[in-house]
Amino acid sequence: MEAALKSAYTATDRAPKLVARPWFFTRPVAKTGIVSWLTTVDHKKIGLLYGIFSLFFFLVGGFEALLIRVQLAVPNNTFLTHQAYNEMFTMHATTMIFLAVMPLSAAFFNYLMPLQIGARDVAFPRLNGFAFWVFLAGAIILNVGWFTKAGAPDVGWFGYAPLTSNQFSTHFKGDVSTDLWVMGLQILGVSSVIGSLNFIVTIINMRAPGLTMMRLPVFTWMTLFTAFLIILSFPAITIALVELMMDRSFGTGFFEVSKGGLPILWQHLFWIFGHPEVYILILPAMGIVSEILPTFSRKPLFGYPIVVFSGAVIGFLGFGVWSHHMFTTGLGTMATAAFSLATMAIAVPTGVKIFNWIGTLWGGQIHTRTPMMFALGFIWMFMMGGFSGVMHSAAPADAQQQDSYFVVAHFHYVLIGGSIFALLAGVHYYFPLVFGRMVSEFWGKLSFWVIFVGFNVTFFPMHFLGLNGMPRRTAVYDGNMGWNTGNLIASIGAFILGIGIFIYFVVIVYTYAKGKKIKRDPWDARTLEWSVPTVPPPEHNFHVTPTVHARDAFWYEKTNAKEIAEESALHAKDEESHGGIHMPSQSWFPILTACGMLFGGLCFAHHFFLGAIIGGVVTFLGVIGWAFEGPGGYHLHLDKDGNAKPDHGDSH
Amino acid sequence: MSFATISRRLATAAAVACLPLFTSGWLSGHQSTFETKGPVARTQLDVFYVTLWVTMLVFVLVAGVLAYATLKFKARKDDANKTMPPQGHGNPFVELGLIALSIAALVVIAVPTLRAIWYTYDVPEEQRANAYEVNAHGLQWWFKFEYPSEQIDGTGTLVNANELVIPAGRPVRVNLRTADVIHSFWVPKLAGKVDMMPNRGNHLWLQSDEPGYFWGQCAEFCGESHSVMRFRVVALAEADFAKWIAKQRQPARIPAVAPEQPKLVAAGYVPLSNPKRNSPGYTAEFDADPMGHWVAKQEVDAGEDVALALHGRTVFKEKSCITCHAVRGHDGMGVNGPDLTHFGSRTTVAAGLLENSKVNLHRWITQPNNVKPGNKMYRGVNGMAGYMTADAEGDMTVEHIKVSDDEARALVEYLHSLK
Repeated sequence: MEAALKSAYTATDRAPKLVARPWFFTRPVAKTGIVSWLTTVDHKKIGLLYGIFSLFFFLVGGFEALLIRVQLAVPNNTFLTHQAYNEMFTMHATTMIFLAVMPLSAAFFNYLMPLQIGARDVAFPRLNGFAFWVFLAGAIILNVGWFTKAGAPDVGWFGYAPLTSNQFSTHFKGDVSTDLWVMGLQILGVSSVIGSLNFIVTIINMRAPGLTMMRLPVFTWMTLFTAFLIILSFPAITIALVELMMDRSFGTGFFEVSKGGLPILWQHLFWIFGHPEVYILILPAMGIVSEILPTFSRKPLFGYPIVVFSGAVIGFLGFGVWSHHMFTTGLGTMATAAFSLATMAIAVPTGVKIFNWIGTLWGGQIHTRTPMMFALGFIWMFMMGGFSGVMHSAAPADAQQQDSYFVVAHFHYVLIGGSIFALLAGVHYYFPLVFGRMVSEFWGKLSFWVIFVGFNVTFFPMHFLGLNGMPRRTAVYDGNMGWNTGNLIASIGAFILGIGIFIYFVVIVYTYAKGKKIKRDPWDARTLEWSVPTVPPPEHNFHVTPTVHARDAFWYEKTNAKEIAEESALHAKDEESHGGIHMPSQSWFPILTACGMLFGGLCFAHHFFLGAIIGGVVTFLGVIGWAFEGPGGYHLHLDKDGNAKPDHGDSH
Repeated sequence: MSFATISRRLATAAAVACLPLFTSGWLSGHQSTFETKGPVARTQLDVFYVTLWVTMLVFVLVAGVLAYATLKFKARKDDANKTMPPQGHGNPFVELGLIALSIAALVVIAVPTLRAIWYTYDVPEEQRANAYEVNAHGLQWWFKFEYPSEQIDGTGTLVNANELVIPAGRPVRVNLRTADVIHSFWVPKLAGKVDMMPNRGNHLWLQSDEPGYFWGQCAEFCGESHSVMRFRVVALAEADFAKWIAKQRQPARIPAVAPEQPKLVAAGYVPLSNPKRNSPGYTAEFDADPMGHWVAKQEVDAGEDVALALHGRTVFKEKSCITCHAVRGHDGMGVNGPDLTHFGSRTTVAAGLLENSKVNLHRWITQPNNVKPGNKMYRGVNGMAGYMTADAEGDMTVEHIKVSDDEARALVEYLHSLK
C-alpha cells in the first residue's frame, strides 16, 4: 500500500524531466561549512545569522554608549571632541535601533515563527536569505564612515533637515558621512520590508492544519503586527531619504531652505515612520514575554484575545501619534491637543497588556528561572517607562521635557528595560531549543541582577537631570548647573550595566561550547516550537506536520499524547505519499544580489555614479538569475529512527 | 484619622523625602523646571504634577499587585506534588473594569493638559495689549535678539546678542526665527521650549514675575557646537528696562581722548597661558549674585586704559573683525557675527558660555576653536577670512588672521569699553 502510494506520485514517468542546468544555475547542496551559510535558505540558519550579527552590533552600540558616558562623567570633559561626541550619539542610536534591536527581533521571527506555526520554512526561503544579506550590506555602509577621514554620520539618528544638507556638511571637502547614513538606512529599509512581506505571507498561508488565527501563539501575532507596521511605516522614511539623497546628490530643494524647501516636511515624514518604529521595537519583545510568562507560571496567558487585540490597537494608534515627537515645533493648539489625546489613548492598550501579564501570574506556580527573571524585570521597567511616557503625552509638560535627559531616561526604560530585557530573556529561554544546551542558573541570574542594578543606576538619575534642565545631545556641560552628581552616578551605572552585559555574553558563549546538554522541552513549555523532535531542531523542523487542537498546542499534545500519536502516524503516511518532506534548495543569488546593492550603495554615497550603475547592474542580473534559476526544492525521506535522507534526484 | 488627614500627611512625608533633591541642587539648578519664575513655566509644572501624581498612584497600585502576585504565587518546593494551577484563560469583566479605570485616570490628566495647551500657546487675550515683543534668531551657535519696537534712524532695529533683556511682570512674546538650521529656545525657569524652524514663523510667550537673571540653552541638536549654544535672559523692573533701552539705542561709546601712548602690556590681568579645550568659564562669585554682576557691567570699568582701548579699535578694524561684527557708530557693520555695540555691558561671551571677564575674552579671541569648535570666527564664513580656512583637501590649515597677545589685550580693552 505504502509503496503503491509513493510510486503513484513520484514514479519516473510522472515526475518532471530533469534538465541539464548550466553551471551558474547549479544549486549548492553543502550542509556544513562556509558555503552552507552563504547560500542558506534555512530559516533557522538565517535566524542565527541575524542573531549573531545583531548581538555583535549590540556590543558595538554599547561600546559607543560607554564612550558617551565617559565623556559625560565629569563637567567640561575633553575625552571626546564635540565632533566625535556627535558621531558617537548618532551612531549609538542608529546602531541600537537598526542594527541591534530590529535584527535581533528578526532573528526571533526567523527562528521561531515557522516553528510556532508548524511550518518547515518561510514562504519565500531565498527572499529570507536576501533580507539578511541586504541587512548586512546596510550595516556595513552605515559603519564604514568610522574608517574614513570624514568620520561616521554626525547628524543624529533623526537627521533633522536642514542640518543634513550639503551646506552644513562642511567639515571636510569630501564629507560623505551623511550620504552614507542616507544610503545605509535606505538599504536597511529594503531588508526590513522584504523580511516583513515574507513573514506576513508565511503566517497567513503556512499555518499547520487546525492552527486558526485565534490559536496563534502571541509571539506570532506580534510578528504579524510588527511586519505590517514595517511595511506601512518604512515607505514614509524611504520617501524622506530619497528626497534627501536627491538634495545632496543632484541639488534638488526638498529641504533646502534657500530653494524654498520645508524642513518641517522631513520631521513629519520621519516621525510617521519613527513612531511606529517604536512599536516595531517593542511588540516583538511583548510577544516574547507573553510566551515566557505562561510557561513559568504554568498556566495559559490571561485574556489572550485582549492581549492580541491590544497589540493590534497599539499598532493602529501608533500611526496617529507621530507629532508628539514634534510638540515643540509650533504645531498650533488644535494639532497639539489632538496628538496629545491620541498619545494618552495609546496608554490604554499598553496598560491592558500589563494587566494581563499580571493576570497570568495570578494563581499560577511561578518558577523564577533566569528567563522569567528577565521577563519580570521587563514588566517592572517597561511599566516605569510607560508612566514617564504618559507624562510626555501632556504637551505642556512635554515642553519642558522634550529633548532633555528626562526623555533619554524614558526611552531607555522602554527600550532597554523593555525591548532589550525581553530579548535577553528570549535568548535565555530559547537557548536550549536552538543549541540543545542550558545556561547555568547561577550565572544567568547573576547577569540579570547586575544588568538590572546597572540599568537603574544609569537611567534613573537621568529623570532628575532632565527635570533640572539638562538638554540631550550635549557633549559638555558646566559644573555649576547641579548636574554633576547625577551624571557621575549615571556613568558609574553604565559601567555596572556593561559588566552585566559582559557576564551575560561570556556565559552564553561558554554555554554554547561547554554548557550542560539537555533533552527537548526543558521548561515544560506550551507552544508548538518546543514540539520539535530534537534540540537543536532538524533542518525539516518536524518529522510530521503537526495538527493543532488548542491554543497552547504543545501543552495539548503533552496532555493528549495518545490521540496525537495516532494522528501523526496517519499524517506521516500522507506526507510520504506526496513525495516526502519538501525542502527548499539553497541558492547563490540572494547574496550575489545583495553584494550588488552593497557596491552600488557605497559608490552612490561617494558620488561615484559609474560604480553605482555597475552595482545596479549586478543587482539587476542577480534578480534575473534568481528568477530563471527557479524555486528549486527537493524531498527528504525519513527512516524509522527519524534520520533524514535528502533525495535531490526528484528535484523539480 | 480621616482620609484627608492621611493623604495630607502622606503628601507631607513625600515632600520631606524629596527635599534633599531640591536642597542638594539635584532639582534646583540654574535651569531647574521646578523653580518656576513665571506663569508659563508654572502652568507647565502644574500639568507635570498632575501627570506625576496620577501615574504615581497607578504605579503604586499596579506595582503592589504585581509584587504581591509574584511573591504569593511563587512556586514552592512541595508544588511538584500539587495539581496544576487552574488553566483559565481570563475574565472579561476584570478586563473591562481595568480599561474603564485607565481611561478615567487619563481623563484626569487630559483636562488640565488641554487647558494648558491653549494658555501656554500665546499671550492671553486680555494681556495682549500689554505684551512686549522681541524677535529671537538662532544661528550656529549663538542667539540674536531684536527689539522691533525700537527703531533707530539710519540703522534699523535695535539688536542685542546672547542676552535677552526683558521687562519683568509683563508678558513677552518672543518671535522665533532662524537663518540656518533648527534651534530651540529654552529658558526652563520661565517657559518650556519652542523650536526655531527655518521657513516657519514660530513664537512663544513668557513672563518673569520678578526681576531676575535666567539661564537658557539651545535644546535642538544644531551641529558641531550645539552643546555650547547658550544664552541668558535678564528681566528688569519697568524703569530699569526703560533706562537700559535708552542706553542701548545710543551708538557705541567712545572713551575720553587718550592723554598718553597706550601701555600695550599693562592691562592688569594674566591671560590663561594655555586654557585647555572646554575649560570652564564660570565662577562661584558670579553664580552667587548674577544680577549684581549684570548691574556692575553696565558701568565703565574702574581701571579702564583709554589709550589701549583706542588702540584696540584700530586693531578691530585691521584684523577684519569689522567684516562680520557691527559696532554701531564705529567702523564695523558686518552681520555674520553678533552685534558688539554694547558688548561691554554683557555678562557673557561666546553665547552664554564664558563669563565676560578680561581673561575669558582674551581666551575666546585667541583660541576660539578650543572654546567653540567649528565657529565662524575660526573657520571663516562665505569666503570671508577666519582664523583658519580649509585647504583643497578640506583640512583646516590655511591661516588668515592671527592675533598676537598684545593685539588681543587691546581688543579686550576696546570691547570692554563698549558699555
